[in-house]
Amino acid sequence: MGTSAVRVQGLWKRFGQQVAVAGIDLELPAGKFIGLVGPNGAGKTTTLSMVTGLLRPDHGTVEVVGHDVWRDPVEVKARIGVLPEGLRLFERLSGRELLAYTGRLRGLPGTEVDKRATQLLDVLDLAGAQHKLVVDYSTGMRKKIGLAAALLHNPEVLFLDEPFEGVDPVSAQTIRGVLERYTASGATVVFSSHVMELVESLCDWVAVLAAGRIRATGTLAEVRGDAPSLQRAFLELVGAQSRDAGSDLDWLGGGAR
Amino acid sequence: MSAAAVTPVFVRLKLSLLRNGLRQSGGRKAAYITSAVFALLFAALQLIGLIALRGHAHAASVVVLAVAVLGLGWAVMPLFFPSGDETLDPTRLVMLPLRPRPLVRALLTASLVGIGPLFTLCLLIGSVVAVARGGAAFVVGVVAVALALLMCVALARAVAAANVRLLASRKGRDLAVLSGLVIAIGAQIVNFGAQRLGTSGLGELDPVADVLQWVPPASAISAVQAVSEGSYGLAVVQLALTAGALVALLVVWSRHLTRLMTSPDESTLTSTETAVRERSSTGLGRLLPSGRTGTVMERSLRYVWRDPKTKAAWVTSLAIGLIVPVFNAWQGTGSVYIACFAAGMLGIMMYNQFGQDTSAFWIVALTISSPRDAYVELRARALALLLITLPYATLVTVVTTAMLGDWRRLPEALGLSFALLGAMLATGAWTSARFPYSIPQEGYKNVAPGQAGLAWISIFGGMVAASVLCAPVIALTIWLNVSARGDDWTWLLLPVGSAYGAVLSAVGLRLAAPQTARRLPEILAAVSKG
Repeated sequence: MGTSAVRVQGLWKRFGQQVAVAGIDLELPAGKFIGLVGPNGAGKTTTLSMVTGLLRPDHGTVEVVGHDVWRDPVEVKARIGVLPEGLRLFERLSGRELLAYTGRLRGLPGTEVDKRATQLLDVLDLAGAQHKLVVDYSTGMRKKIGLAAALLHNPEVLFLDEPFEGVDPVSAQTIRGVLERYTASGATVVFSSHVMELVESLCDWVAVLAAGRIRATGTLAEVRGDAPSLQRAFLELVGAQSRDAGSDLDWLGGGAR
Repeated sequence: MSAAAVTPVFVRLKLSLLRNGLRQSGGRKAAYITSAVFALLFAALQLIGLIALRGHAHAASVVVLAVAVLGLGWAVMPLFFPSGDETLDPTRLVMLPLRPRPLVRALLTASLVGIGPLFTLCLLIGSVVAVARGGAAFVVGVVAVALALLMCVALARAVAAANVRLLASRKGRDLAVLSGLVIAIGAQIVNFGAQRLGTSGLGELDPVADVLQWVPPASAISAVQAVSEGSYGLAVVQLALTAGALVALLVVWSRHLTRLMTSPDESTLTSTETAVRERSSTGLGRLLPSGRTGTVMERSLRYVWRDPKTKAAWVTSLAIGLIVPVFNAWQGTGSVYIACFAAGMLGIMMYNQFGQDTSAFWIVALTISSPRDAYVELRARALALLLITLPYATLVTVVTTAMLGDWRRLPEALGLSFALLGAMLATGAWTSARFPYSIPQEGYKNVAPGQAGLAWISIFGGMVAASVLCAPVIALTIWLNVSARGDDWTWLLLPVGSAYGAVLSAVGLRLAAPQTARRLPEILAAVSKG
């Protein structure tokens, strides 16, 4: 395995008039917990979709663990795990059936799939709901079963789009534990988020995305620089200076109603 | 709030809801007005029709049947159209300090306001006019109309209250998706029933009416007929039956209402409890081949049963595929060849395979990295389909042949069916890859906005192509039937048609596979809309 898990060059994507991704060059190191951060509409989901082969870019190349995503899908698809945002699962299967289906589709032997599924369901605290249809799952449970499906074939790189969005604190802690154990074994996690506190506490490497471009990349300390927190550094990078709310809304709270 | 004051409030609420139907956006307003006008027009027409029926020998049977169907309609309506009447859901009133008895009275009165009750009233009045003879009969008629109308309304309320938890849940929404299906199949049956009545007369209805005259609310109308014939005892029993049913419904409704208003919403409580239900794996998985083929087949077959959209499409295809050839044969006008209709209807299920996955197709897309993977995926879906369609098409063809007694033509009809099925699978696989479109999961629509053209090309283009592909077998069938000694050789059409269908589907899958593998992101984008 080389030193970079993902190498992106000159990546563009346009939807009609809207440029979603405007020429991204990015190199993500292997074996790290990587955060892709940016405000809503920055192009995080579009970028991750193109990197994982779910969306065709207008221009640019993507390599994952040294293989081109579009020219060499056999090598790439076996090595990545994906949890997209905003796409459905096969919701009319139960949690266990979904794992059995995904694992066998990935070409793993049936007995191995069932063994791994049992362990994943246990660790992710889904054993009690394993026979319930995914359509009846809560948001947190859906993210957890999606994570289990993405981990089933033990991928080298795991891509997670907003894995903590709408997830309760207990489930979030469970997901965190599994991901930390997974990266400790030398695998790479790339996840997108707009919650800076989360990224700061989890990641050791960060890429900041805004308006379809990369604003900064590097270790957490490099990106944070002199700023007191990643949140501050981020706001400065994306050009959203904390506006002084002094004169506006001065009627709000206290005083005359 | 006193009991007397509650009723007018609810009636005013219902009137406001009706009026607010006019305050929607342009298109919906037009649809609302159009449906209201049509309902009233239809009510007026059937009122005239029923009055015209007066004096007809079988008028009583028609009327009893019509009222029975009407009652059935009121019973199932809240299940299939839960959003039809917002006052049907009593949990909306749970925060108000109301006692059960005045509430039942108020809700019952309020439910008499609306287009549905007006329509029912027209039909009931028409029914009485059709069968009543003499002053006494009309007096009983007034009582019968009131009883029947109240019973219909109470029936809908009781069913809604008993199932309100279901209707608010995911299962209820699943049920609503199937409502279009009930209407489609019901329309087919009514259509064929009407044709049959047209040929053999209304006398066919008499045995059915003999039973239904004891079932409320039809029994109320039957009482009018009984009085007209002087059977007062019978009339009293039938009226008492209706009144008893009404009281029973009101009691059931009132009980459910009280329980709904006083107990917490269970839908949030039970979710953690019911989960731990150990279910042994279905035997299905063990019978299917291993690897991707069996996995995909198992998932496809599970979806036929579990996914409401897929289920609705399947049941429609299965029902219409059976009804058309068999009813035609039953009327003696059919031909064995119409049995191919079953194969054609079921073959449509192969179309837009990936659209049926919705955006969950990404799971499939991530595991297809070569044309070979795509081929195995498509072949497995075709095999799952064949597991149902092959025996079904055979059954329909055999049943049709048996009804017509035309056994000599069975081999060629089967051969044609199988050839058509093969052609549908081939074109279905190819259009699935080339012209995928989204199937919205909510509501009755089967195509996402803006993709109707795609769906049109996919289904109609595919069907035309499938017929063209079948042309050699059709030509051979015609040639054997018209040539001098061809009849001795028509049995040959069964193996030839089957082999031809098998070759067509194999070629179709081979052509569709590289298309699928190459167009994965485009397919995902197309099926993720809406």
